[in-house]
Amino acid sequence: MIFNLANPLRFQRLIEKIEPITLNIAITLLLVGLFFCFFGSPPDYLQGETVRIMYIHVPCAWFSLMIYSIIALCSIFSIVFKHTLADLISRSCAPIGACFTLATLLSGSIWGKPTWGTWWVWDARLTSELVLLVIYLGLIIINNAYEDKSKADRYSSILAIIGIINLPIIKWSVDWWSTLHQPASISKFSSPSIDPSMLLPLFIMTFSFFFFFISILLVRVRGEIIQRKIEVIRFNRTV
Amino acid sequence: MGKYKVKLDVFKLVKREIRIMLKNFSIIYSFSTFFLIASLIFVFSVNDISYVKIFYKSIVWIVLIFSIMLVSENFLNEDFNDGSLKELQFLGFSEESIVVSKSIAMWVMIMIPMLFLVPFVFVFFQITLYELISLVITLFLATPSLTLISILSSLFSVQLKRNKIIQFVIILPFFVPMIIFTTSTGTLFESNNLKENQFLILIGIFFITLPVCLMAGRLIMREINK
Repeated sequence: MIFNLANPLRFQRLIEKIEPITLNIAITLLLVGLFFCFFGSPPDYLQGETVRIMYIHVPCAWFSLMIYSIIALCSIFSIVFKHTLADLISRSCAPIGACFTLATLLSGSIWGKPTWGTWWVWDARLTSELVLLVIYLGLIIINNAYEDKSKADRYSSILAIIGIINLPIIKWSVDWWSTLHQPASISKFSSPSIDPSMLLPLFIMTFSFFFFFISILLVRVRGEIIQRKIEVIRFNRTV
Repeated sequence: MGKYKVKLDVFKLVKREIRIMLKNFSIIYSFSTFFLIASLIFVFSVNDISYVKIFYKSIVWIVLIFSIMLVSENFLNEDFNDGSLKELQFLGFSEESIVVSKSIAMWVMIMIPMLFLVPFVFVFFQITLYELISLVITLFLATPSLTLISILSSLFSVQLKRNKIIQFVIILPFFVPMIIFTTSTGTLFESNNLKENQFLILIGIFFITLPVCLMAGRLIMREINK
């Protein structure tokens, strides 16, 4: 079933069916989530209204890591099986991941000013997240640097695999070093240190961002497939 | 038997690289001059010498990274352009042994001039002998990883005819942990707060860098020769 869909043309047909659905779900969830963020959840006893920035910041941070993991998985798949669709997905994911990482850093910065008293600190979590952004930018640059797209795909796959080293550093930086950034509070299922009234909007926003990511990814993959088709047609005309 | 063959291959290749390096002595000369001038530019840009004394480690490491990256390009470009990179693979040398031998040769090429340059650093930055020792130790422990990463960055850009700056953009993030740990190790050493595991971190980084660079180097070299 999966290998059947891994054909770019079949996948393109699937995208055309799924994409509007995911976009609609994303918009609906975003509206519901924003309602809960602004009206359905209380302000924090310490942070006040600024806590609402977390409903954007936390999902963005999760997705910045998740998208890189997808790129890394696709890169491994691309190197092992040399599958075009894996290349297309990782190529399409890079700019989206970069946007999520940038949003994480910007929203964190806006939250940091009233809470920590500064826009930026050279804390392990923030620094490693910034490194992730630079790696994303490197991937985007390398994807556009080579005229031969298959070569660019191979090189960016290799770079993406090397960059996996940064993921555990980001995840556990708050445990390995004494940082200003707080340790995990939501993924701590044994004793979650977040109130359910705040957890609900956070999860709705997370799902909304997930569907938003899927919808943009599908549009970008479709674009890439069409672009490759055009290149093949042009090549055939010149030959 | 295979293990001995790899050792022999690496030995042969290192010998070849060092022979080429000695013939092109200008590379060592350029590296040393670049390092010296770039360090001096930092000194000239600061009016108060006490600031230079504070930031000497950062200056030395930043200049060193850039000089290594500039030199590494020479190491691979010439071999790629005259076809010897491909030839070595056809001769049966494994990609890993080529990457390792180039890194070893480059490390030798960096450490020899650095031994002569370190006294200049001592004088220009007005550091103490103790600080100098800490700098030399960190240099010895961290430069192997730096050379491996630089060789990798050159491999990435060897087929690019233009926009060579990409090699800096894609690989500089991987120097961040190196810079953090080398400078912090030096600072802790100088303040007598150093625990032995600080030096072990630098060695640990090398043992992470080595397999990653070998694997990536192998994949890139195969791609280059397609």
